[in-house]
Amino acid sequence: MRKCALLVFSMAVLAVAAGCQKNETTSKDADLAGVNVAVGEKGLFAKLFVLNEGNFQKNNSTLDFFRFSDGNYVSDAFGSMNPAVVQGIGDTGNDLALNEGKLWLVMNGSGYVHVLDALDETLVASIAVPDPRYIAFDKSYAYVSSYAGAIYGGDEVKGKVYRIDLKTYKVDGEVEVGCQPEGVAIAGKSLYVANSGGYNYVHENTVSVIDLSTFKVVGTLEVASNLHYMATDGQGYIWVSSYGESTWSQDADGNWIQSMSEPMGLYKASYYSEPRIVQAVKDVHVSCMTICADGNIYAIGNAEELTGGYSNTLYKVSVKDGSVTSKALSGTDAAKVGNPYGICVAPGTGDIYIADADYTGPGKVWCFTKDLKEKWFAVAGMLPAHMVLY
Amino acid sequence: MALCLLGTISVAQEKVDTLRASVVSSTAGSIIVPQRISSKQLGSVTGLSEAVRRFTGVQVRDYGGVGGLKTVNVRSLGSEHTGVFLDGIQIDNAQNMQVDLGRLNLEGLSSVSLFSGQKVAPLQCAKEYSSASSLYLESAEPVFPDGKTNIIKAGIGAGSFFSVSPKLSWEHLFKGGASIRLSADAVTSNGEYRFHVKDFRQYPDGSLAGYDTTMTRKNCDLSSVRAEAMLFSPKSGVESWNIKAYFYGSGRGLPGPVYKKAGEYPLSLDRQTDRDAFVQGRYYRTLGRAWSVSGRMKLSYNHLEYIDFPETLAGGNPAHYNYRNHSAYLSASAMARIRPWLSVNIAQDIQYDYLDADLRDFAYPGRLSSWSCVSTRSSAGPVDVSATILYLDVNDSFISANGRAGARRNVLMPSLVARWKVAESLTVSGFAKRSYRMPTFNDLYYTTVGTKTLDPEDAIQFDLGMDWVAVRSGGSNLSFKADAYRNQLKNKIIAVPTSNQFRWSMYNIGKVDVLGSDVTADYSVKAGRGGFGAIVRYSFQQARDKSDWNGQIPYIPLHSGSVNLSGDLSGWRADVTLFATGERFTTSANLPAYRLAPWATLDAALSKNLTIRGDELSLKLCLNNLLNEQYEIVDNYPMPGFNFILRIEYKIN
Repeated sequence: MRKCALLVFSMAVLAVAAGCQKNETTSKDADLAGVNVAVGEKGLFAKLFVLNEGNFQKNNSTLDFFRFSDGNYVSDAFGSMNPAVVQGIGDTGNDLALNEGKLWLVMNGSGYVHVLDALDETLVASIAVPDPRYIAFDKSYAYVSSYAGAIYGGDEVKGKVYRIDLKTYKVDGEVEVGCQPEGVAIAGKSLYVANSGGYNYVHENTVSVIDLSTFKVVGTLEVASNLHYMATDGQGYIWVSSYGESTWSQDADGNWIQSMSEPMGLYKASYYSEPRIVQAVKDVHVSCMTICADGNIYAIGNAEELTGGYSNTLYKVSVKDGSVTSKALSGTDAAKVGNPYGICVAPGTGDIYIADADYTGPGKVWCFTKDLKEKWFAVAGMLPAHMVLY
Repeated sequence: MALCLLGTISVAQEKVDTLRASVVSSTAGSIIVPQRISSKQLGSVTGLSEAVRRFTGVQVRDYGGVGGLKTVNVRSLGSEHTGVFLDGIQIDNAQNMQVDLGRLNLEGLSSVSLFSGQKVAPLQCAKEYSSASSLYLESAEPVFPDGKTNIIKAGIGAGSFFSVSPKLSWEHLFKGGASIRLSADAVTSNGEYRFHVKDFRQYPDGSLAGYDTTMTRKNCDLSSVRAEAMLFSPKSGVESWNIKAYFYGSGRGLPGPVYKKAGEYPLSLDRQTDRDAFVQGRYYRTLGRAWSVSGRMKLSYNHLEYIDFPETLAGGNPAHYNYRNHSAYLSASAMARIRPWLSVNIAQDIQYDYLDADLRDFAYPGRLSSWSCVSTRSSAGPVDVSATILYLDVNDSFISANGRAGARRNVLMPSLVARWKVAESLTVSGFAKRSYRMPTFNDLYYTTVGTKTLDPEDAIQFDLGMDWVAVRSGGSNLSFKADAYRNQLKNKIIAVPTSNQFRWSMYNIGKVDVLGSDVTADYSVKAGRGGFGAIVRYSFQQARDKSDWNGQIPYIPLHSGSVNLSGDLSGWRADVTLFATGERFTTSANLPAYRLAPWATLDAALSKNLTIRGDELSLKLCLNNLLNEQYEIVDNYPMPGFNFILRIEYKIN
């Protein structure tokens, strides 16, 4: 309840950029057999990494991967490659990112950021960061958003961004931002931080802008209420999702009714552009999203949220012109996805990977073609959520 | 055995016996013979949860340590389906329907009995028909030696976890024959214990690697006080009554689950304080030849304060949550012996619960429940049959956006119980029963766990059992009890997230199919000033989750059992008990990653009673988990290794 470990975000642009060169060296993890779920295929990538969040305070977060060469899905690869690490990767993985051949795991419950060799999942470093949420990188540093000790129902406590030196793997700075910061992204010379205010009576509605050279907050952008995922498009803009504003009340039968005073949405913003902009992308409901090197943001959300219906829909938003194409999952093979919890898209093939969380048992990872035809699925760990292609 | 005999007294001869049986125990005269632990056996355990886990078909969920929550689950139906009754009146709370066995005391109890199904005994109240299974705790009525009117007992216990537990009681016989017991006890303990965290696995190349580290369970201190006063009526063939007032107060650390956390932060600093108080009473009276009546009442108040500390924010202020549960209960029942072979029991119970909490947008729910019941019992020769129909009507009122609103749920719960005494030494019995458990206030009105309209959870039980006394000669006794059962659970209440990740909804989606068997063999022999006893118990429970994965449901082992050996000689008594539980899984997906290892523990107890100038001195040493088994009953809640307690008690007659 306290730190509702949430959702998905992948710094996919950086991830994909770094991952595009497939590594030809034989990895020590090649001996991990896993379960065959698909026929092997050659492509840009060697592995699809999957971070299972695990249940809150259950210490059952795990790192899996799908190996493209033989189509095998390997569960708990970290545990197999690092059996002597006490209590594994730990509790409640909240973000997964690839940077310069290193895989970064942000463990919200455990208060650690782990650095792994992406080639064979061996542990390189574990860095203590309180309540870490999401991560972004520039050339010299990793930036991690943090709730900084805030608890639901407690005092209003400002969140922080911690800066980790990529050479020493040590925290070398921190800066205060808004309450319960979530997604982080770098555009131009700035780090943008989505403030949610999720524990507050009144949610936050701002993005904090931090100058990378001074590591100080230089301003804020008012965007929308309860911000969450963030991505950068490489053209100086950041894209940020909002959970909107809703109130819940019980009707005479005891049903909880949600009424939205502000819709869920996706926004494009820049602090330094002339003029400074905050633009809403219409009719995009985001419950998970990713940005792909093909120049599109992919998101899944419930299109009928406002009317109380249920229709999971895949949105493809072009970062060049903001055009949106949407497709309902029902009527496609992706209708089998019970609870979409994370998404990742492969540039080139356009294959769509969806993490499907089940709240009573292990989840699944699905692979669909860009036309939402099923290619394969695998049984993952508890609450699969974050995916990165390597 | 005494209970078996009481149970076989035919209805025709039962007029006075019924009353006396009811006075002695609210479990006497039942058609189905319960599993029972007598006061003598209770002497060899340290707490109620240790006693209860000796029953077959039972899983005690134990979060470990002196302050850890301990709940009981019978035949895979979930702890909310097990009613816990103290002197025939249910201990319950509308907030979560969970009774923490760790807070109930063995002191002053004469017996603990478990009915794994329908209990049918004379003059039951209506609530006694409503649970799928019931656990009965019976207070011991004071017994005064000839001419004595005062008994004082003082004792103190000390042992592992820096525990100290003094207690004092005074029993007094009034001139008119009424008696009173006043008792108080306290526990203080820092609760800390060491445990192992380990995992070994094979590298891809086949070599074994892993870790085994020792950690200390912290923030698990407990201090509690309990005070009780119980007044008993004079002995009479016509009427009997008792009144009990109870207070329990405690403060404890909540150590939380064990998980990986960066070194500089404590795992948990959270605390909980409780203030529980109740007054309850019951009254029995015979009216003429055919009728007998009974009334019961209870007023209770529970205050729970939960303090959530921001462990990663040094000096940060905690969040406080206060829950105040108010409850009032009234019951009337009457039994008429219409024909020598037919009696009818009617009962009407009413209860009001109200929950007050200082949460954001809290619903302040109130609940008025009514149980109405008609039960018939007929006997023809060796056959005894009882049919019951119970109607439960529950009306909730809560604050919604449009002011106070209401919700009504009602269910019919029929049951049929039969017993056939095939021969003097062999009895066959069985029952079929449908019961429901109402959604709790937490299910319905918890602000961060949202709610749809919920139906009650639906449990159907079928049972066929036999009791066979194989040997009863001289001082030796060998008996067997075996049951096969099938339970079906539908509309199981499960929390599922909505599209807003902060808000979960409760749904009726779970479905569980249970096939099980309980077997007990009991041998005892008496010779001279000594005796020996052996009890072997085994439970098989195949509990399949039919809604998903088709695997064994979480935390229910396929196999579990215990062996208890005891011997006594000239005031000495020794007890050795082995508990064993097979592998379990934390989800219905029975994959290796979610497996909890089997465990076995060995406990021993040694006691000595001495008489000193008419007073009694007793010494008791309990050694728990002698083999220092490292195990978990609940995932990530390690249980203590070897621990002991030494008790000394002096009784002045």
